[in-house]
Amino acid sequence: MSIAITFPAPRTAPRRRINRRSALVLCLLGGGVIFLFALTLSCGRGCLAPSAVLSALFGSDSAGASFVVNDLRFPRAAMSIVTGLCFGLGGVAFQVMLRNPLASPDIVGISASAGAAAVFAIVILSLNGWIVSLVAVCAGLLVAFTIWGLSSGRGGAGGRLILVGIGISAMLDSVTAYIILEAPEWDRVEALRWLTGSVNGAQLSEVAPVFAAFILFGGLLAVSARDLDVLRLGDDTARALGVGADKTRLLVTLAAVGLVAFATSASGPIAFVAFLSGPIASRLLGGSTGILAASALTGAILVLAGDFTGQFLLPARLPVGVVTGAVGAPFLLYLIVRANKNGGSI
Amino acid sequence: MSLDHRLEAQNLCAGYEKQAILDDVSIALPAGKITAIVGGNASGKSTLLRTLTRILPSVSGSVLLDGQSVHAMPSRKLAQIMGLLPQSPIAPEGITVADLVGRGRHPHHSLFSRWGAADDHAVEQALRATGIEKLAEREIDTLSGGQRQRAWIAMALAQETDLLLLDEPTTFLDVSHQIEVLDLLVDMNTSRGTTIAMVLHDLNLAARYADHLIAVADRGIHAEGPPSEILTESMVKAVFGLESRIITDPVSGTPSMVPIGRHKVVSRSCNRKIA
Repeated sequence: MSIAITFPAPRTAPRRRINRRSALVLCLLGGGVIFLFALTLSCGRGCLAPSAVLSALFGSDSAGASFVVNDLRFPRAAMSIVTGLCFGLGGVAFQVMLRNPLASPDIVGISASAGAAAVFAIVILSLNGWIVSLVAVCAGLLVAFTIWGLSSGRGGAGGRLILVGIGISAMLDSVTAYIILEAPEWDRVEALRWLTGSVNGAQLSEVAPVFAAFILFGGLLAVSARDLDVLRLGDDTARALGVGADKTRLLVTLAAVGLVAFATSASGPIAFVAFLSGPIASRLLGGSTGILAASALTGAILVLAGDFTGQFLLPARLPVGVVTGAVGAPFLLYLIVRANKNGGSI
Repeated sequence: MSLDHRLEAQNLCAGYEKQAILDDVSIALPAGKITAIVGGNASGKSTLLRTLTRILPSVSGSVLLDGQSVHAMPSRKLAQIMGLLPQSPIAPEGITVADLVGRGRHPHHSLFSRWGAADDHAVEQALRATGIEKLAEREIDTLSGGQRQRAWIAMALAQETDLLLLDEPTTFLDVSHQIEVLDLLVDMNTSRGTTIAMVLHDLNLAARYADHLIAVADRGIHAEGPPSEILTESMVKAVFGLESRIITDPVSGTPSMVPIGRHKVVSRSCNRKIA
């Protein structure tokens, strides 16, 4: 019994400690978002002192600074944050629900369907604003349920669901490319937005619906988060713990598709943000709670950092999707190799 | 804890699409006792357990908990009374033992209730009862099979249900771990009065540890009752299609089945002897 004295009984310690870790990670990620937000506001082709940024934001008109900060940089930074939050949250919801990091909306065709639907609505149907986003949500849900139906393995996502999703994704990407070719009035930058995603030329009026979607669908996810967490233990265990697996899956699918579709119809399918955020957040948290919030913040950081890198740190000015795509692709390869070795869950 | 939760099936037909696995089954789990469900492969013993816990829908007939249909009960309320350890639960990567066990508290919480002292207490009790307090901070992936199974049982314990159903809790465990898990279930049964029902493959361990045996065969119940009454050579023949001899387990005094195959039989006459 001498050993028992040297080891304090675990009692409640493990759980408290885990919560401390999630709090620390969330604080760090939140700090990262604020830092990158401030960086985007103050640095561009020319840098402004923090005081100049603040005075421009809060109304004192110093000619050029006000225009640069309020009309150019602020909408861009705000768009980066809200789309990043949406992609990060929507992505991890899918990954957790299907117990597979490869089952993220940008791999299995949800982003592609939302993008294709948005382009279709804008070019062919001449729609704009909220309606475009709603069309994108409907297309996303349609594709989600089509994939579930075709792969019909309920519960976890086997290779089949992923492969069906990749196939559908490829089909829809070609639809997007075709419509863009049919839209001669679009310039190269606009076309790139729909192919890889960009926050270039963002307007505050475009940020608002994405923000509203984040609140609405994010709230829906937050309500389902506890049940989603239990669903990770398998359908049978979840049912034994009083969680309706099918009901939870339906709610989570609706919320995640809503998040991804609204973000996509504003910024285009910013490559791999949805896919990367969850695994990064999961590694930071090391199995402790708060994966949804951490992943949303990680998404915002990825878009902000990717956009800043694409604009100012590389020799050519690139849209954010090109940067995140370049980072995400090797990680995708890594995961596929690893998934071959073990069933690999997030 | 009350002992009088009564789970029963009445004229239950169950199975998968178009294929009945159980046909017109009526049973009741004796309250406060340990029940073992035995039967051959694909005889429907898991189906019976899964239908009793509502994981599988019944085709017809009903499953009643205290006289009330389980299908009409709210999921969370049911989960506060009845727990289930499925055959192959999934542990998320990186989850610690304490965290997994904590998941068992799920049905005791609603959206706005917070983790409290009662939850800490239940987790602590469950860890202690299963003898894995020292492993609380370890990740599930790093445990041995026996330790992992104990962690899952601890999760079901933390759920603090009066009824606990287990689907083959000893599969994939070596014999010492099997005994360990079964002893643990007896501890729970005697100390808390938990009603336990489990599917077991090993007939002799079932006879040793269960108060009540249910033998499933031919889409129905072949026999049920105390092991000493129903574990007979004719029952083994009917349920498993196997010749055998029943002897008395010298350790527990319960009946024990010695199978008779085509080879390695020293004396044929011994199976004529009355056990």
